[in-house]
Formats: sequence, structure tokens, C-alpha cells
Amino acid sequence: MIKAENLSKNYVVKVKGSSLLREKRTVQAVKNVTMEIEKGQIVGLLGVNGAGKTTTIKMLSTLLEPTEGVYLFDGIDAIAHPMEVKRKINMIAGGERMLYWRLTARENLWYYGQIYGVPPKALRQRMEELLALVGLSEYADVPVETFSKGMKQRLQIARGLVNDPDYLFLDEPTIGLDAVVSRQLRGHIRYLARDKEKGILLTSHYMGEMEELCDVIYVMQEGRIIQKGTALQLAASVFDRKKFLVELYDTEGSGTERLKQEILKSDPEAVVEEKSGELTITGKRDFSYRIAEICSKNGLLIRKLYEKEPNLEDTILRISSEGRAEE
Amino acid sequence: MELRVLKGTLIKNLLIQYRAYPVSFLVGNLLTGIYTSVGAWFLYHLMFRGKLSSDFVEMTGTADYMSYVISGCLVYLFVTRTCLNVSRSLITELREGTYESLMIAPFRRAEYFLGNMLVQTVTTSLEVLVSAAAGIPFGLRFTGMNAAGFLGSMLLSLYAFFAVSMVLGCIMLYTRDTYISQNTLFIFLFLVCGITFPAEYLPVWLQRITDWIPVKGAVSLIRGSTLLGKDLKDMAGTAVWVFGISTVTLAAGFLMMRKTEKHALEKMEG
Repeated sequence: MIKAENLSKNYVVKVKGSSLLREKRTVQAVKNVTMEIEKGQIVGLLGVNGAGKTTTIKMLSTLLEPTEGVYLFDGIDAIAHPMEVKRKINMIAGGERMLYWRLTARENLWYYGQIYGVPPKALRQRMEELLALVGLSEYADVPVETFSKGMKQRLQIARGLVNDPDYLFLDEPTIGLDAVVSRQLRGHIRYLARDKEKGILLTSHYMGEMEELCDVIYVMQEGRIIQKGTALQLAASVFDRKKFLVELYDTEGSGTERLKQEILKSDPEAVVEEKSGELTITGKRDFSYRIAEICSKNGLLIRKLYEKEPNLEDTILRISSEGRAEE
Repeated sequence: MELRVLKGTLIKNLLIQYRAYPVSFLVGNLLTGIYTSVGAWFLYHLMFRGKLSSDFVEMTGTADYMSYVISGCLVYLFVTRTCLNVSRSLITELREGTYESLMIAPFRRAEYFLGNMLVQTVTTSLEVLVSAAAGIPFGLRFTGMNAAGFLGSMLLSLYAFFAVSMVLGCIMLYTRDTYISQNTLFIFLFLVCGITFPAEYLPVWLQRITDWIPVKGAVSLIRGSTLLGKDLKDMAGTAVWVFGISTVTLAAGFLMMRKTEKHALEKMEG
């Protein structure tokens, strides 16, 4: 298990001062981050640009040394023994980095296998398995510079698995990819966690991706973790109002108008909006029973009725705006 | 010792060089060697009218200026090419986006840099051989060649160049600059390490400073074995000195590299 407690990271940056010399200033990029990642779990790290996600992921992957805090990796002090950690982790980043473009897919995997010290026989077998996993067996001996973005990203996944890590850090792995390739990659990520028991830390700007994949989501803002939970828990903690959508078999519109008036009569605080014959009812109550009751009493036929869950994007926007308002 | 990182880096770099090495770069390097020989020939024959002062012969032990200057330039070519590529290895990884994927791996730095050095030694040896052949019409003669002495001197020199590369690599990675740092160092080495004229012509205080640069001793060892027929035993004092200061320089380079790597990673973020 990865366990980080109160991790902080300060940078010393040079800024232009009044004199010709640049002044040094300390900037705290990450403040007291506490998080856990278990094997087989996908943990999300969400936040706007500059929230501290990448610095956090780089501290956990030993690329950056924390200024303060405790970082335990399967019980080992990861700050004191980074080499122990490096053997059991890997990182996959979005974009087209982390690959040698002039080498072929197979040569890339071979080289990374060498620097991780994977035994030759195991490496040969693993290379073939990984190329098959990411669907690049056919292109194994083609230079990476001729690959499409999606192919490079798939090869990155294979590279990230070449040392068979226990934990994977994925920093915006689907950035810039089309919908089809993104979906394939999400499938790979799910497979790695569920079937291969890898602990995964994922950062992404795509809320749908986080919502779909993550067991737990940490929300960061200005270097701090400000919320933690599943997508539903996060939404519940933020939205105290429920939203229902209802549509009737009602060509004339009189039934819809009737339903609207009855709802407002029973709860004057409810907000009822009509658009193209569809009513959106927002309020603190669970309106489903009341809607069914009104329709039953008035002989109205329901075409559709469901509660609309707030999506992660709405939730994060709300959390972020609340965080800013508190400041 | 399986030396997987060394082998991996060696093969990776050979493949990359084989696929991406521009022919113009090879021609450029060869032309540098030829231009240097032509320049020295003009200076010696047209300006000095083939006359050398007696102190030159006293200082160098040879009256063959053309061989002296061309051999110096060939060693200089070796220094710049190996230093350039070994020093630039990490900053190249940084620029090509592979630095983080390398730094996250538990690899041995010494093997990685040695792998880079070996590739460059092979490539540069070929370039130097061709340049040496081009120098023959201009008067390059290895009449006093001592093969065993040359082999020993070459190994010691490679060790010295490797040490200098590590320090230069730290400077490049720290400043994220390759052009100013490398060119400043190379010009300095060219002027003070006895490449085209004996370092003894320099002011004494400058000579004492340049004694601490392993390249100066390496140039002297290679000239001694190729032009004067000396064995390593005949140049034991210089050989031990080159080995000693190279070891100190190398240790300093590796120590600095650890901090510089961290600094580079932080600079990517902060």
C-alpha cells in the first residue's frame, strides 16, 4: 500500500525584483497531502491546472523529493529508499514523451527492460505479451516516429508495464487522443487494476474518465486536498438538491402544465422548468413519489421519469467555486 | 556483473546514431580536421617559413611541427566529440522527453554514461582515423610510434575525457545550455592544453591552473607515444598525474550529477 502523510513540496523560484538581480521566493506547490493507494485500486487525482496534481504524482513516483511529510511504500520509507520504490513502480504520461522515436516499439521495450534489469528470458516473453496487450505486435519492428499518437500512447502503456510494477502513475494518459483510442486505453487501465491487481493513481482533465474508472477521487486545489470520495459521494457532499426529469404522453401540453402547477402547489420552493415538453424539477425533496401520485390521480401517462445525478464535472466546478469563495 | 544498462545504452545509441546520424555532420567533422591541417600548413610554411625556434624543440622534443599540430588537433577532435556527446546525453533525454522515464528507473548511472562513452569512442575513432589519413598529405608522420605506449595513453586519455564530460554534463544539465558551456570549454581547452602550441608558452600562473585539467596531460601522453616513441613507463609521472586528477574530476562529476539530476527534475516543475 502507498501511504502518504502530509506531503509538502516547496520550490525556490527566481522572480524579477526592483533591482537587476532576481529575488528568490519559496512557493509551496503542494501542502500537506495525505492519501492512500491500495493494490487493485484506481485512485483519481482531480484539480484545475496548477492545483498540484503533477507535483504530487512526481513525489509519489520518487521523481521529486518532498520537502516535508512521510511517504510509506509497502511499509518502506520511500524518501530514504527511493531505489527500492523505483523497482516497483512506473509512470505513464500523456502526450508523446517517454519513448525513443528513432527506435522501434520492440527496441524501446528492450531498452527499458535493460535499465530495469529484467532478466533476458523474462523480458523476451514480457515484450511479446505487452505488444499483444496493446495491439502493437504487428508494428513491433516499426520505428516509433512513424506511429500515430494513439499508437505511441499504447506503446507507453507497454513501456510502463515492462518492469511489471505493483503501482502505476498515470499522468493524463488520454490527453489528445480520440474517443476510440481513449476508450481502449480506459479498458487497459481497468484491466490492469481489476485483473492484474495494480494500484493506479490517475490524473486527468476528463471528468467522465475519472468517474468511469476511479474507486476513490481526491480533489486538489491550490496544492491541497480539499475533498475525497467516490464520484457519488463527492456529488452528495456538494449538492443538497435533487433534480428530476419527467416527460408525459401529452401532445396538447395541458397535462404537463397541470403537473407543473401541482408540484409547485405541494412545494413552493421547488424550481420547475419546461423545455420541449420535458419538465426539470429541482428541490430538496424526493419528488418521484409525488410525481407518480399526481399523474395517477389525474390520469396522466408518464413517458419517462428519472433522477438526474450531478456529474463529476458539475461537482468539481462547484467544489472549486466554493473553495475560492471561502478564501 | 551483468552490465545490462551499459549494454542497453550502447546498443540504443548505436541504433539511434545509425538511423539518425546526418552525413553532413560526418563531413563537417572531417572538414574541421582538414581545415585545421590546412591552417597549420599555411602558418608553418607561409608565415614561419618552415622555421621553428629552438625552445619549441626543447619543449616538445620534436622539430616536426606539422605532426605536432595535426596530432594535437586529432586529440582535440576526440575530446570535443566524446565530451560533447557524453555531456549532452542527459540534456538530450530531457529535450526529447525521455528524461523522466529514465529517472524513474533504478538504473546505474556509471553504466549509462559509460555506454554513451563507448558508442562515442567507436564513432569518433572512425572519424579521427579518416581525419588522420587526411592529415598525411600535410605532413602528419607517426615515425616514432610506440604501439603499447599509444594504447596505454589512449585508455588513460579516454578516462580523462570521460571525467571532463561528467563535469561538463552537470553544467549543461544545470544551466540547460549546451552551446555556450560547451563552446567556452572547448575554446579554453584548445588554447591552454597544448593543442597547437606548447603550453609552456603560456604564463606560468596559467600553466599551473591548466595542469589540473586532465586533457592537457592526455595530449602530452598521446604525443609522447605517437611522435616520440615513448612507453607509458617513460611518461609515468604524467600518466599517474592524469589518472589521479581524472579520478578526482570523475568523482566530483558523479557527485555533482546526483544533485544536478534532482535540480533538473525540480526545474521542470517549479
